[in-house]
Amino acid sequence: MIRRPLSLATRLIVLMALVLMVGAAGLVALAGAYARLAADEAYDRLLAGAAFQIAGSIEIVDGVAGVDPPVSAFETLALAQDDRVFYAVIGPDGALLTGEEALARLIGPGPSGGLETANLVHRGVAVRAVAIGRALSDAQIQGQAQVVVAQTTLARERLAQDLTVKAVVIVAALSALALASMALAVRFALSPLKRLEAVLRERGPTALHPITLATPKEITPLVGALNQFTGRLAEHLSATHRFIADAAHQLRTPIAALAGQVDLLAHDGDEGRRRHHLQRIEERTAQLSRLTTQLLNHAMVIHRAGTATLDRLDITDLAGRVLASAIPLSDDRDIEIAFHPPAQPALVAGDAVSLGEALGNLIHNALKHGVERRLSVAVLVDPASVTIQVIDDGPGIPVDQFEALLEPFRSRGGGFGLGLAIANEVAESHGGSLSVAQVESGFAVQLRLPHAPTRGQEAVP
Amino acid sequence: MIAWVRTLAALLAVAWAVPALAQPVAPTVHLFPASDGTQAPALAIHAATDLVAMAPLIRDFQQRYPDIPVRFEEYVTTHLFQRATADCAAGRGEMDLILSSSADQVVALVNDGCAQQHRSLETTRLPAWARWRDEVFGFTFEPAAIVVHRDLVPVTEVPETRLDLIALLRARPERYRGRIGTYDIELSGIGFLFAATDARQSSLFGQLIEAFGRTGLVTRCCSADLLDDIAAGRLLIGYNILASYAYGARERGAPIEIVLPHDGTIVLSRAAMIPTHAPNPALARLFLDHLLSERGQAIARTQSFFFGMDGSVPLDVIAPGGMAAAGLLRPITIGPALLAEQDRARRQRFLTTWRRAARPVP
Repeated sequence: MIRRPLSLATRLIVLMALVLMVGAAGLVALAGAYARLAADEAYDRLLAGAAFQIAGSIEIVDGVAGVDPPVSAFETLALAQDDRVFYAVIGPDGALLTGEEALARLIGPGPSGGLETANLVHRGVAVRAVAIGRALSDAQIQGQAQVVVAQTTLARERLAQDLTVKAVVIVAALSALALASMALAVRFALSPLKRLEAVLRERGPTALHPITLATPKEITPLVGALNQFTGRLAEHLSATHRFIADAAHQLRTPIAALAGQVDLLAHDGDEGRRRHHLQRIEERTAQLSRLTTQLLNHAMVIHRAGTATLDRLDITDLAGRVLASAIPLSDDRDIEIAFHPPAQPALVAGDAVSLGEALGNLIHNALKHGVERRLSVAVLVDPASVTIQVIDDGPGIPVDQFEALLEPFRSRGGGFGLGLAIANEVAESHGGSLSVAQVESGFAVQLRLPHAPTRGQEAVP
Repeated sequence: MIAWVRTLAALLAVAWAVPALAQPVAPTVHLFPASDGTQAPALAIHAATDLVAMAPLIRDFQQRYPDIPVRFEEYVTTHLFQRATADCAAGRGEMDLILSSSADQVVALVNDGCAQQHRSLETTRLPAWARWRDEVFGFTFEPAAIVVHRDLVPVTEVPETRLDLIALLRARPERYRGRIGTYDIELSGIGFLFAATDARQSSLFGQLIEAFGRTGLVTRCCSADLLDDIAAGRLLIGYNILASYAYGARERGAPIEIVLPHDGTIVLSRAAMIPTHAPNPALARLFLDHLLSERGQAIARTQSFFFGMDGSVPLDVIAPGGMAAAGLLRPITIGPALLAEQDRARRQRFLTTWRRAARPVP
């Protein structure tokens, strides 16, 4: 079973959901960290407040430092409702004034009695502790008293958790909202494709006119490509239709003539005239055979133009071979034949069969209609293209007439008018062109082809 | 000089602490066997609460759960606290449930991590001021009252406020000399708690103890002794006496009147906790829930402590109507703020002031 590729909407939504999830996870982690920070800050202030109140109650009476921790300090700490409270007060001489000595050994105030905060383990439980110093001076005592206040961390954990949960709820709600609106947006954005689909679906099988749907610029190239494709298809179809019509027309005449000759042959009693008719029938049959061959060649060229794979080939070899096979075995005339290969290889991407047919036609045309004494074939390589010239010493053809000859069944007499049309078809299907020129040694019909692309690049006709 | 003072202070501290630790006063043990006569394994309630008050509650509990024997051990608050602290430090224990009128001591135990959590329908119904960390629960509502001898103090002289009391002592010093009594706050945890709270809440407290000092203040260890002395006429007025015990004594025939100071009455909630190392914590939870239930509270109101958690005051107590609504009943919040009362330095300082001003006579 072939797995269907995921739909565009699914792809987009899954991708966005992934991005959203990653973003949401990041946000939640951030919110958690921030919540912990905020909770710590809030409850650290309570701790510090209590420590300051206790420190404020330290005084020296009769040369002895004493402390009277105010109830308000404990009430301040009680704002962290369920947390246990530990504290210690150390006198300027280092003696414990009240509280737990063990706690005072864990943490002391910062330099010059500044507030110090730490997470500690006291009596086996995690506590948050603050320490501050208070400078005392008296006639007998100078020094710094220390106050340490610690509290378990239930309240701050609860606050942090509460804040985090709220943040999670908000992030989740926003993510859901974002995803929902993205799903809608994707649907909306893909709607032109649906319209395009509807337009195409409603078309009849022969409707090959361009699509004129107004589309967003992202889809315009697709529509353009579709239009180009249908355009080529339409052209090809009409060429085929034309060809069939022309071929039918061209075939009808010789067949009718042939039928006439056979009729004459059947009813003529004169032996001399019968031989004459028979000769005519022979000629007509040969003519018909040539025409059929050419038509088939033309059909083949048209077919290969669309389907044959293009090979990298050296046109010089091909031109040489075609020239060699085209030289008439029996010609009354004394014709001088020349071949001028280029110094470097002339590589083109092409279909050898079509190109051979085209070159054969050009040489054949030259021999039939142009050549008086000389025929030469030259292959020229310039930076832009590869050109094969078929040159004869005949009178040549004016450019405007040459253009007309490129259409099928336009003959200047003698042939069926398919030779140049086939060559032209081949030239165009290879991205090249067919033209005429007067050159030094005579009249040249030249087939210009682009260079083969460097290896690795795909050959595009 | 400083060294000498510190040595003396240390010696005093040791002298104060050592006898109690070295020779703990043995608690009084009362057994409530199960209905089939078995006595063990019993729910061990260790309490600084009179048996008279607790007995009806225990009996009611056993009516509901006849199979559970109860062992009730009665202490003075400080001794109970010392024993619980020692147990907690040693990581062992025989006590299932601790009941103490010294809520501050129980809070200190909880703060030291000596209690188990208990959360039930009954505990969550308690007002916020009567519980902390789900480990300590206030289960009574006991105002600190002025108790007077009904016959020996003329109706016109019965003080209704602290100011009345100060004025009375100033007006008739000779008549009341040596006849005013309160707790010995060095021995009685509840006495200390009442005095310390009073000192914080009432601006008249300083004048009051001065007046006491001039008149000669008699101190006793316990509510029972104070109430006996007042009933017998040896004392005329008792200050900051647990109204629940006073009411119980009057129910039993003592000729006394109970006044809730109209200018603000401190209310104590007796504290209960289940120690970490309780051998039968499930039984303790059962008893605690029973104590806090409607049924338990009804027994407490009618037979044990006479004042309800809702602030309801018996009609035959001298108190202005709607005290609770007027905010004149001020419960001591069970929570970390009580740790202040347990602070050594603070306690010493307060006791020094007290001794200097009140000049108590044992």
